[in-house]
Amino acid sequence: MPDTTAGTVWMRRWVERSVGLRDAFLVFVVGCALLEVGARAGLYPPYVLPAPSAIALRLVETAGLMWGHMLTTLVEIVGGFFLAVVVGVLLAAAIVFIPFVERGFYPWLVVLQVIPKVALGPLLIIWLGFGYLPKILIAFLVAFFPIMIDTMVGMKSVERDAVFLMRSMGASQRSTFFLLRLPHALPHVFGSLKVAVTLATVGAIVGEFIGADEGLGYVLIFANGSMDTTLMFAALIWISAVALVLYMVVGAIERACLSWHVSQRSGAGAA
Amino acid sequence: MAAAASPDAVRSDHQRPQGDARANAVVADAVPHVRLAGVGKSWQRKLDTFVALDNIDLCIGRSEFVSIVGPSGCGKSTLLMVIAGLIASTHGSVYVDGAPVERPLTDIGIVFQRDLLFEWRTVLDNVLLQAEVRGLDKAASRTKACDLLAKAGLAGFESRYPHELSGGMRQRVAICRALLHECRLLLLDEPFGALDALTRDQMNLDLQRIWSEERQTAILVTHSIEEAVLLSDRVVVMGARPGRIVHSVAIDLPRPRTVQVREGAAFGHYYAEIRGAIEHA
Ligand SMILES: Nc1ncnc2c1ncn2[C@@H]1O[C@H](COP(=O)(O)OP(=O)(O)OP(=O)(O)O)[C@@H](O)[C@H]1O
Ligand SMILES: [Mg+2]
Repeated sequence: MPDTTAGTVWMRRWVERSVGLRDAFLVFVVGCALLEVGARAGLYPPYVLPAPSAIALRLVETAGLMWGHMLTTLVEIVGGFFLAVVVGVLLAAAIVFIPFVERGFYPWLVVLQVIPKVALGPLLIIWLGFGYLPKILIAFLVAFFPIMIDTMVGMKSVERDAVFLMRSMGASQRSTFFLLRLPHALPHVFGSLKVAVTLATVGAIVGEFIGADEGLGYVLIFANGSMDTTLMFAALIWISAVALVLYMVVGAIERACLSWHVSQRSGAGAA
Repeated sequence: MAAAASPDAVRSDHQRPQGDARANAVVADAVPHVRLAGVGKSWQRKLDTFVALDNIDLCIGRSEFVSIVGPSGCGKSTLLMVIAGLIASTHGSVYVDGAPVERPLTDIGIVFQRDLLFEWRTVLDNVLLQAEVRGLDKAASRTKACDLLAKAGLAGFESRYPHELSGGMRQRVAICRALLHECRLLLLDEPFGALDALTRDQMNLDLQRIWSEERQTAILVTHSIEEAVLLSDRVVVMGARPGRIVHSVAIDLPRPRTVQVREGAAFGHYYAEIRGAIEHA
């Protein structure tokens, strides 16, 4: 029964991974315990470092409320990220294939990249108001550049003879793109996606700092205004959790798409 | 055969389409299949220009099997790419069926020096790339691909990925890919370089069989003089710096040839002649 075998393999892998995380978990528990002791002994005031138990309690109390804010932020991150993937990959392809785009637009894209996107925030708020849009746009702006650069590198680094092979088969530009350049660039693209998803999170949160009435970044700013450090930590934990989950989702998609690639083979490279 | 041994005979080939050098060609047409007239290729480098090919004249008859031997770096791969229309020559012209080559030829099968397998495709899908790009019939191509792979000793490896294969196995997949479609010109750049002696012999015989069945014109680059003599109607020796043709030997041995041919006196004679030409190049 192949199903059962596959199931057991999966289970075993989970157990192995959990065992691998055992030490990390140990460090976490000891760290929390130390902070708890420090807070209860009054080594520092609770508005500087609240006790972990207080943060945990707060997390439970505010769970429902935070969930809603989290969804808002998630929409902004994922929206910005998707936009960055689509625009980044398309722009990269355009730059690689259309000389005019490379000459006319690429320099401006570099200029755009050196402008601190956060500095554009207030302007975007004036243009687009306080809704999702400016946050999605900031997340997009922060995330798309690495995707574009890495995709370009991936598409350009195709071997000359591989292109020759395609030409000798009479392949059109289009099929050379889909059969050779795109798959060849995929490992590079995925490498950049992991960076980009983290950057998109930063972009969305920063967007909320600038002007918002919902989202985890808004909660953070709100808590800051009322010196509610415990709530700030709760919001931080939510933000980190969202970022981590998104990172893992991208990693899982990468593993599914790139099983053939060197980086995905067991024992390849450093873990 | 004496005339064929002098470089002059090669040079004058295109003026005398029925030249001695191709007396052995199985089908000799009025128009040679491939003709190179004064072909030169220089690479522009930072400080100077490097002459990779200098004034190459060569005529290859339809269904002729020609091998090119010569020291490493003498421009053999470059010559194949120029013939395929993939690299533009800087001097002279290449003619295929009498027409100048101005764009990449597509009616050909190429095995490149590196196997160029696509890592993201299985062995079978790598071979089928040829069919996919050319839009050939799927089912028929699949059957033929499996057949070719089986003949190359790769049965059972169809759904493996290239990284699971040895260098020699990868090269065999690349050969299968080049043979999948019907073509009239085969360009083979050291296709058997990564194989052990026994497998190499077997692949040589297989190639001879395929060639004698399909009667393509074949140009084989190899470092093995034995392989060149065993398979060819004619062996062309190239010299380096600049890359040029220094010698040409018509191989007049009966076909089909077996590996035992190598033990004969005639074979030894050809071997010594080619070896001498390479050493004096
Ligand atoms: N793209 C290039 N730019 C500059 N020089 C090149 C380029 N390609 C090849 N050359 C030079 O041209 C010469 C001939 O190269 P080529 O690959 O044709 O040699 P070869 O006879 O196939 O050698 P080998 O037997 O080692 O494969 C070499 O000296 C190489 O340095
Ligand atoms: Mg070569």
